[in-house]
Amino acid sequence: MSADRTGIPLNRRSFLGVAAAAVGAAAAAPLLASCGESGAGGAGSTSQSELAKIMPSYIPSNLVKPDFASIDGSAPGYLDYPANLVHTVSGVPGDGGSYTAITPLWASIPSPSGNTYYNSVNKALGATMTMQPSNGNTYNNILPPLFSGSKLPDWIQIPSFWTGPLNFGQAVGAKLADLTPYLAGDKIKQYPNLAAIFPAAWQAGIWNNKIYGIPVFATQFTVAGFLYYRADVLDTLGIGTPHIKTINDLYDLGKEINDPKAKRWAFDDIWTGLLQPFDVPSNPPAWVTNDKGDLVASWETDNIVEAMAWEAKLVKAGLMNPDAIALDTNSGKQRFWSGQELITFDGQGAWNTGDQQSGTSAQKGYVRGAFPMFTASGTGTPRIPLANGTEWFSFLNKDLSKSQVEELLRIANYLAAPFGSYEYTLINFGAPATDYTMTSNGPVLTATGNKQVATTYSFLASPNEVINNPGYPAVTRATALYEQQNAKYGYKPLFYDMNIAVPASLNNALAASQFTSTGNIMQEVVRGRSTVADYKAAVTHWQKNGGNALRKYFDGIRAKYGDA
Amino acid sequence: MPALTTPAAARQTGTPPGTQPRPAPRKIPWRARLRRDRVLILMTVPALALLGVFGYTPMLGLVMAFQDYDLYDGFAHSPWVGLANFQQLLTDPSFWHAFWNTLELFSVQLVLFFPAPIALAILLDSLLSRRLRSFIQGVVTLPHFFSWVMVITIFQQMLGGTGLLDTFLRQHGVTNPFNIMVDPSTFKFLVSSQLIWKEAGWSMIVYLAALAAISPSLYEAAAVDGAGWARRLRHITLPGLKGITILLLILNLGYALTFGFEQMLIQRGAVGPGASEVITTFSYEFGIVQGNFSYGAAAGLFLGVTSLILILAANKVAHLFGEDGLYRR
Repeated sequence: MSADRTGIPLNRRSFLGVAAAAVGAAAAAPLLASCGESGAGGAGSTSQSELAKIMPSYIPSNLVKPDFASIDGSAPGYLDYPANLVHTVSGVPGDGGSYTAITPLWASIPSPSGNTYYNSVNKALGATMTMQPSNGNTYNNILPPLFSGSKLPDWIQIPSFWTGPLNFGQAVGAKLADLTPYLAGDKIKQYPNLAAIFPAAWQAGIWNNKIYGIPVFATQFTVAGFLYYRADVLDTLGIGTPHIKTINDLYDLGKEINDPKAKRWAFDDIWTGLLQPFDVPSNPPAWVTNDKGDLVASWETDNIVEAMAWEAKLVKAGLMNPDAIALDTNSGKQRFWSGQELITFDGQGAWNTGDQQSGTSAQKGYVRGAFPMFTASGTGTPRIPLANGTEWFSFLNKDLSKSQVEELLRIANYLAAPFGSYEYTLINFGAPATDYTMTSNGPVLTATGNKQVATTYSFLASPNEVINNPGYPAVTRATALYEQQNAKYGYKPLFYDMNIAVPASLNNALAASQFTSTGNIMQEVVRGRSTVADYKAAVTHWQKNGGNALRKYFDGIRAKYGDA
Repeated sequence: MPALTTPAAARQTGTPPGTQPRPAPRKIPWRARLRRDRVLILMTVPALALLGVFGYTPMLGLVMAFQDYDLYDGFAHSPWVGLANFQQLLTDPSFWHAFWNTLELFSVQLVLFFPAPIALAILLDSLLSRRLRSFIQGVVTLPHFFSWVMVITIFQQMLGGTGLLDTFLRQHGVTNPFNIMVDPSTFKFLVSSQLIWKEAGWSMIVYLAALAAISPSLYEAAAVDGAGWARRLRHITLPGLKGITILLLILNLGYALTFGFEQMLIQRGAVGPGASEVITTFSYEFGIVQGNFSYGAAAGLFLGVTSLILILAANKVAHLFGEDGLYRR
């Protein structure tokens, strides 16, 4: 999702290809499920004291003063592209080595021969990086054969939500380079741009007491997404800016704007968006604690039942787009852009240049807005669980020598140069004149650039995310302000940023497919095909078939490693 | 071709009829038969090789059904768990739900779909204009070449909640029109009609060939004897189709448990797993999607064995009725 800000036309929903309702859930399940008990050391996680020993130092960089400062962790916003680009790396980082790298790409794969973008970046890096971008939609399918066939490249991007079938706790030790000796503590200071990446993102790349992952696209305020609405249509209907204080307000608003006769429905399937007002953590098993301090899974709470009942009411009243009822998530964005539904849930990164362009071409005057966070009852302070510091990591091959690892880390340092730097512009837009021209709005890709520049190097290392939409300052203003005002509601859920290895026997209970797969019991209840009683029976079945054992296991993790 | 004429010759010159029930073929030694049929055997080699490489070799992977398979340990080092996966499978209510649902969906589809191509073939066969005939044949065969995604999209565009029909109804005052694409109770009829739309034309071709094989002189003789349309259908056309119908029925039973994977998977979300879960989608969702390969393999093996039993049973029944079935007894 966050990758959107770097110009990739994708979001969490589209590349996962999963039902919107299970977005957050599905994304995080494999991460936790990934590590078998046979992982190196057999440990379940990494304790705070171990973390303290290896965590890289954090040295923030402030290259350009943002127009919208980071408040409570919101991403900084820049209305314009800086005119004076600063060099953050002196000299050439590479020693002339040759390396292969595999990264996902959600765009057409550029031809490598005579590619001026690859050539100019490689020249600046002082190394021959053979980039092998691979179709992002099927990227998860190529990972298992790469691992089992020992065909890993020197450097590879592996998003944490796709580590599920890789048995990652074991994979890191067997196949990937341990970066702890190079980056732990103050050692990272040799790589200042890497040291400027948020610690939470580094922490999420630690497995079994060792640093393996180089975090990519890090943010501090990372959440499942927001409840969005069509601000322009609401204006046209004479409603203006909606003031939603309770979940009933949202229902009333939906009722007011619903008009199926004109092929305009109020809602998409906003299930994941309901978890915020109903205060349900969205990462499975999404433990919360009850009054006694015991672990309770999110699907055991009363809140989730209330959320289901509320959305079922909305379906019954005919306020949800029939295609959304049919769980057609692929055309979800199109429905929103073309005004066939006015309120939707989408990832944080859905709100950007690409969205504005697609929306405007579908319906003139398109403006996306987001509801400020609220509580279902209207009482108390709203809150939203933070996702890990990032879900994107690159890894180095275990077979690399020490000097090769050091060369690649220097290159990573170059690639992680912040917004406003000369290096950032080169990595994102290629060679000046050939690949892009600098306009008053910022860099604009040329015809050659459009063919050759692809988000490839950025998947290996990149700076913390910023909000910048060249040519669309209104979008930047809206998103940056929204984040500034709502980031304060973010909270760290239990087991935040921890990679927890679960014994194989508990994998099924952790994946809890009855609650997370397409057509899960929650979706059935919402659509009126199952009852709340059916749902409670499914919860009981889960508890008896590994759920309670899983709880016990996490109790053990809590006792041994803490819960955050 | 000498290889083909030899058995007939052997029958003619062999022992007199009546002394032995099956005389000639048994007498030729195994080696001689091999030599005699070597050309035919040679011709089957590519197909056998294909079957060997893509059909039988992957079956070796079935050992993972008896292991707790791990990607890094491979087949060689993954721990053996015996029948634990099957035990878990057979006590899993969602598996049994998928199992019975498969049988139900299959039975409904069989009953509704199976007569469709036969009826279509008979109808088309009775058309006199060759040009009209080939035109209609082209039209009804075409959907076979569409993928399931496309077929279901077309159905969705026509009958879905925002499709042609519902939009029309809504504009004419129906506030909450019936949406068949998301209704679990009518799902079995929906998938049957999709199957008929897509495959009836294609399946018809085999029956058309069988119809062409019926000698027109039979019809002429019957007509001279005063047999009307219905009698000719009953006493000439249908008996002429019997053999091929039974063969196809048996082959279809072999697919009973594996049918419609794509069709169900695509619509699983729309109607929910309650109505659409079949064993193949179960195996996919709970085996592959969740990286639980051993469990998926166990479900797959169970399915394969059950399918084999079904085929053999159907073949037996065919033989009891004096038909050829899969092979001549």
